[in-house]
Amino acid sequence: MSEKRNISSFDQFRAILHKDIVMELRTKEMLTSMGLYALLVLIIYYVALSQAGSAFEVERIAGGLLLLAIVFTSMLGLNRSLVHEKDQGCLEALLLSPVDRPVIFFGKAVGNLIFLILVQILIVPLFYFIFMSGSQVQSGPWWMLALALLVGSIGIAGVGTFLATMSVNTTGTDFILAIMFIPLVFPLLLVVVAALTAVITADAGYTQVYWTMLAAAAGYDVIMIAVAFALYEFIIGA
Amino acid sequence: MSKQLKIAIILMVIGALLTTLAFFMAFYTARVQGFGTVVSDQPLDTAFALAPPSMQPTDGIAYERPWLSQKIFYFHVPVAEASFLIFTIAAIFALLFLLRKDKKYDTRSRIAMETAFVFVVATMITGVLWTRASWGVWWDWEPRLTTYFIMMILMIAYFVVRNSVGDEERAATYGAVFCLIAWVDAPLSFIITRLIPSNHPVVFQSGMDTTNLIPFIIAQIGMLMIGYAIYVLRVTEESMHERIELLKERLEA
Amino acid sequence: MIDPTNTELYDLVLQDAPFVIAAYGILWLGLCAYVTFMLTRMLKMGKELTLLEDAVDKLK
Repeated sequence: MSEKRNISSFDQFRAILHKDIVMELRTKEMLTSMGLYALLVLIIYYVALSQAGSAFEVERIAGGLLLLAIVFTSMLGLNRSLVHEKDQGCLEALLLSPVDRPVIFFGKAVGNLIFLILVQILIVPLFYFIFMSGSQVQSGPWWMLALALLVGSIGIAGVGTFLATMSVNTTGTDFILAIMFIPLVFPLLLVVVAALTAVITADAGYTQVYWTMLAAAAGYDVIMIAVAFALYEFIIGA
Repeated sequence: MSKQLKIAIILMVIGALLTTLAFFMAFYTARVQGFGTVVSDQPLDTAFALAPPSMQPTDGIAYERPWLSQKIFYFHVPVAEASFLIFTIAAIFALLFLLRKDKKYDTRSRIAMETAFVFVVATMITGVLWTRASWGVWWDWEPRLTTYFIMMILMIAYFVVRNSVGDEERAATYGAVFCLIAWVDAPLSFIITRLIPSNHPVVFQSGMDTTNLIPFIIAQIGMLMIGYAIYVLRVTEESMHERIELLKERLEA
Repeated sequence: MIDPTNTELYDLVLQDAPFVIAAYGILWLGLCAYVTFMLTRMLKMGKELTLLEDAVDKLK
């Protein structure tokens, strides 16, 4: 016992994150499935918009479409990330180990956030080339778009990881995740779409709309992640 | 029959009488007032111009059609406020369950959620009819309606989640956790019309006549009595159900 | 308050009437149906309860 090292929460967090990333590097399962799924969603978008004609302004709905693709893809990823843990008995092992419960939450949530960001790096340029390359609109700077997507992704990963931990223990896993996840992130989606559309269309005075909406989204992130953090202990122990 | 049940039934009858009284008062004593304004980008009824000139505001925005449709107010708002209140009570019981791990709080929380859901559905029905009568559309995606709709979906999700968990204790914990996280939407829905300008009127800010306040308060008290009575009836029913299960087990043993 | 000569206004009032009546009617009937349903279920349960209690007493 005298040899016992004092392991900080940060080390525990790093270990969980490291485990997820190593597993992903070996199997590459999450990224391929999420990436392919996002691609399929883009194809569906093309089908849906194929009869819209040339007078149709794609900039007005591009933000919404982009976020929709991300939401669908994230639900797939969130589900998989926790179903894996459960199937391989990893979640139980994690619970047996002396790791603080909130650390498990942050470890899983950050892992999911990283995968979500990687998928976005793939599909956002693709989305631009497929739908927006012919557009004449002068959009705002790209970093504003990236920032809005990042704030949205943080909320999606945080709330999603929390809810997926519940839904893996239910019958009808993916449906239960959807019915909890979509109404709960609804406010976030609404403000992020407003921010994205503000940047893409870049109407006069768009920065003000953008920052207001981003502040609302950040507020949502802080409140929901705080609530999830406080309640995570109850659901993971149940 | 327990004392609580007797009180509940008496309250149910009084509540029914009070809400009926409020209904007649709404038609006979309450005056028509210009509540709120309509600024909608959707084509609405052409009725606005028909309000008498004495009631038209000078700044050029027409008041919503305040005639008969306004009478729904005396049922719609009490039901809606009761639904927020009962949802809050359900969330408090959920919190108590998580802190004390006592099954009785979970049952109370679940039954309060059921009662709140009945009131939410009632609010939705009266609200949709009022929207149609007053704004000329069945539904409008404006902040109050949207957040309230989301609240209804969250409540449905609560029951779906509970039913999809096999283990009873786990179902109780998940239900309580989801109830708390879903409750965040209730205060949001309540204050959103005060934060963001919307079509949904905030009647108490525009000032109300005493002649209108009285039927409203009567209806509110009556509705809360009915809500409490429904809650107690459901609790009694649940305890009866538990006793039956217990007796059946003993018979089989 | 309403100008008696304004017939257009009265037409308008009558247009609203079905919605107002429907709102009250659905709310009332819905709540009544819910409570009646609950009470009948409770009465049924009460009967079942007395039956079961009798059965348990006989066993003793």
